[in-house]
Amino acid sequence: MADRFKIRSTVKCDVLIIGAGGAGLRCAAEILERRPGARIIALTKVSHPQKSHTATAQGGLAAVDPRDPNDANIFHMFDTWKGSDCTADQNVVRKICESAWEQIIWLENRGMHFSRDPQGKLSKRTFGGHTRNFGEASAFRAVFEADRTGKGIMDTGWGECLKRGIHFIHQTVAVELLIEDRHCAGCIAFQQKNGTFVQILAKATVFASGGSGQVFKVTTNCRQNTGDGLALVMEAGLPVMDPEAVQFHPTGIVGPGILASETLRSVGGILRNKDEEPFMAKYAPKMKELAPRDLVARAIESEIREGRGVMNPDHQIQHVWIDLRHLPAEVHERQIPEVVSFFKHYVNLDPRTQLCPVRPSNHYHMGGIPTNEFGEVQDAGQQIVDGLYAVGECAAASFHGFNRLGTNSILELITMGKHIGDRIIERLERESSVRSDIAPCRFQEKFAGYFAAGGADHIGQIRNILRAVMTEKVSVFRTEAGILEAIETLRELDERARKTKLTQQSTAMNQELVQRWELDNLLAVSMAICQAALHRKESRGAHFRDDFPTRNDAFQYHTLVSTTDEFGKVELGRREVDMTIFGAKGENYEKFGLIERKY
Amino acid sequence: MTTYDLTLKVHRYDPDRDKSWVQTYQLTAGRILRFVDLLRKINDEQDPTLAWGSSCEHGQCGTCSMKINGKPLLACELLVENAVAQFGTTTFTLEPLGVAPVVRDLVIDTEKAYFRLDKVKPYIIRPKAQPGEGKEHLVDPKSLERYVTATRCINCFCCTEACIASHHNFLGPNAMLATIVRLMDDREEEKEERLKCLYSNEGVYRCHSSRACSHVCPKGIDVAHYIALAKAGAF
Ligand SMILES: Cc1cc2nc3c(=O)[nH]c(=O)nc-3n(C[C@H](O)[C@H](O)[C@H](O)COP(=O)(O)OP(=O)(O)OC[C@H]3O[C@@H](n4cnc5c(N)ncnc54)[C@H](O)[C@@H]3O)c2cc1C
Ligand code: SF4
Ligand code: SF4
Ligand code: FES
Repeated sequence: MADRFKIRSTVKCDVLIIGAGGAGLRCAAEILERRPGARIIALTKVSHPQKSHTATAQGGLAAVDPRDPNDANIFHMFDTWKGSDCTADQNVVRKICESAWEQIIWLENRGMHFSRDPQGKLSKRTFGGHTRNFGEASAFRAVFEADRTGKGIMDTGWGECLKRGIHFIHQTVAVELLIEDRHCAGCIAFQQKNGTFVQILAKATVFASGGSGQVFKVTTNCRQNTGDGLALVMEAGLPVMDPEAVQFHPTGIVGPGILASETLRSVGGILRNKDEEPFMAKYAPKMKELAPRDLVARAIESEIREGRGVMNPDHQIQHVWIDLRHLPAEVHERQIPEVVSFFKHYVNLDPRTQLCPVRPSNHYHMGGIPTNEFGEVQDAGQQIVDGLYAVGECAAASFHGFNRLGTNSILELITMGKHIGDRIIERLERESSVRSDIAPCRFQEKFAGYFAAGGADHIGQIRNILRAVMTEKVSVFRTEAGILEAIETLRELDERARKTKLTQQSTAMNQELVQRWELDNLLAVSMAICQAALHRKESRGAHFRDDFPTRNDAFQYHTLVSTTDEFGKVELGRREVDMTIFGAKGENYEKFGLIERKY
Repeated sequence: MTTYDLTLKVHRYDPDRDKSWVQTYQLTAGRILRFVDLLRKINDEQDPTLAWGSSCEHGQCGTCSMKINGKPLLACELLVENAVAQFGTTTFTLEPLGVAPVVRDLVIDTEKAYFRLDKVKPYIIRPKAQPGEGKEHLVDPKSLERYVTATRCINCFCCTEACIASHHNFLGPNAMLATIVRLMDDREEEKEERLKCLYSNEGVYRCHSSRACSHVCPKGIDVAHYIALAKAGAF
């Protein structure tokens, strides 16, 4: 029996990419392009890289076109800093904004099908929070591929890697990082299809495993986003940074949580409660429906909490309505056709004649694996872990601080992906061999434990309780009492999970086994979110404490959370926010001080 | 609240015993649950061993394609009440696509289905020279308009499943679409290799114009139109 958990084979490569989404593949493509013949292995948890979450990003990616006389990198940096509520790292912000356009061109020259203006140049549109002249007027800064920009990035990254001979291992999860004395030598991976474990040794390992949205019951994220990357680094004794910084989109479609874009509100959609009363004026008298994401999300959540929500009987989820009935047919047909089709597809409603159900939906994790501006992973003492990098949504460099601006995430994937590629190329010139002396020490015991448990509980039900409690207690509104309650529930669920028996003994394509493992990851990430949220007795960006509703700059730092052997007991640390733009005292430096996040 | 009493007959396969069978599940579900929600409900309430695939769960990735009452479609886009109306029954047979070997139950070896795509090189083989530093190629929106719907393909393989010719030597409609896009895209200079592939003995001449591909495409792509262009020698 124990044979099942033996390492079947060991493979060696130059670079191991854990997660073949937009970030991982941009990094791989850079290395393959400049070092043809480099041996790169990329793991993907989904059935094929193209199925990664990046493929769902709709809106666009921000980048200042150097030919645009009205826009400038400094404005993009300012918007990002302001949006982050003064917790983005300015060295990272500068690096990403300054290399943005070059990376757009990289994608275009390799065949991404960007939308075009009548002259044939890249079309641009505006997005919430993107301004010129430090907030003066909207900036047209986002390039896009219709409503499928992420898919364009995914297709291009996948195509380029395929062209240059990457080696994919599909439907495979990293289950243990091989780390010793601040050196990473690769990972142990579990191949779901045939149920076997392999050891992959690499000169450089890049974590690019994406988000953690499945922590919450209603989310825009895909089914595989269970925060595996964060859980794995914590298990390896490394911290995660700012886990409490979680973004909620105000209008997810009930029940699955599918994103209904901001455009609905900008074209005049009105939010109504169960009595069909418009309510935004109560919360934002001037801006009403056009108030920033987090404010609208809290307004909706307040209506629901005060009993003015509506229960969807099929999905058992509370929501409010968005009213689009009064909008002219032309708006429905020309400006919001995709979202209108979502309502038709997923709730079978016609927004021209019917009210549509929406509620806040988990959307993005700003927090993640702490790295420096080169994507090198840091430990709790901010020392670099040699050979380990992180990029994309699982990483926190941090470009977004406590609140991400729309269109800044997929920009981060392609810019940081490229920069980390550069860094690894330098490394490959130095390192001639992989290290094979770091032995795995956790995964066998863990997987054997899953099969040894004998209780009659149910993994799916435990996961559902976890997701419900995180949504109720630790999402849009947080209070000390609520968070403590959630922590208690997580402890109980962890106990229950340990005792739960698996129905089937086989390891091959055993979905329940993978879900059991994911449950451990969800528990670990949820606990990190709770503990950091409890500690941060202020409100900042997307983190809102009902009991501490304003920002307190004594907390202007990044939270570091490390786990201990006891579930629920964590060690907290801090990392200072980089303020080098402010510190350089150059032109407009005062815009990069501790400014208010007011729109 | 409207609910439906449903019977799902699921084609199952156990790789450990190399055994196939059809298993019947009964469940009650609300009108707007999707078929992926039903499968999850079965996992949570009746049978955690039933394996099935999904990722985005909103029609953007093509992971959840399967045959429901014989029709290839995306399980994340099919609502209970629409299914009942469309098929006129509350009994549904769920089968994996036949475009690749089954791994377990409804999960197929997608990687093997993608071999068809890999053969047509789904990227720019030989890019046109870069127009200068910091500059994009100019692409006339009218020219883009001619092939932009084809770029919406998510490789769900529903068309390939529906296409009888694809079950033999033909690489299949979505693979053809991928190469046609690059034939229509001015930024690709390697037209010759593409044409060779298009007109090879695994290429468009295998198509017998049944239009099944266009009929099933969940992204509303008129796949047969592009293939007809190729057959008419438009490139
Ligand atoms: C509906 C929606 C719309 C969005 N729109 C925008 C937008 O318009 N603009 C914007 O900037 N951002 C947008 N975002 C956010 C953005 O899409 C994501 O943040 C981004 O795509 C994440 O990319 P990634 O490469 O980090 O991760 P992913 O694309 O999620 O890739 C992660 C990869 O890691 C793999 N993986 C996961 N766990 C493991 C493991 N344990 N072992 C091995 N592999 C693993 C996965 O299979 C996958 O291949 C949107 C998000 C959503 C949900
Ligand atoms: S039209 Fe051609 S490609 Fe499409 S299904 Fe019929 S035979 Fe297949
Ligand atoms: S053409 Fe349509 S049916 Fe065929 S793979 Fe693409 S999206 Fe699916
Ligand atoms: S799960 Fe992505 S299309 Fe259905």
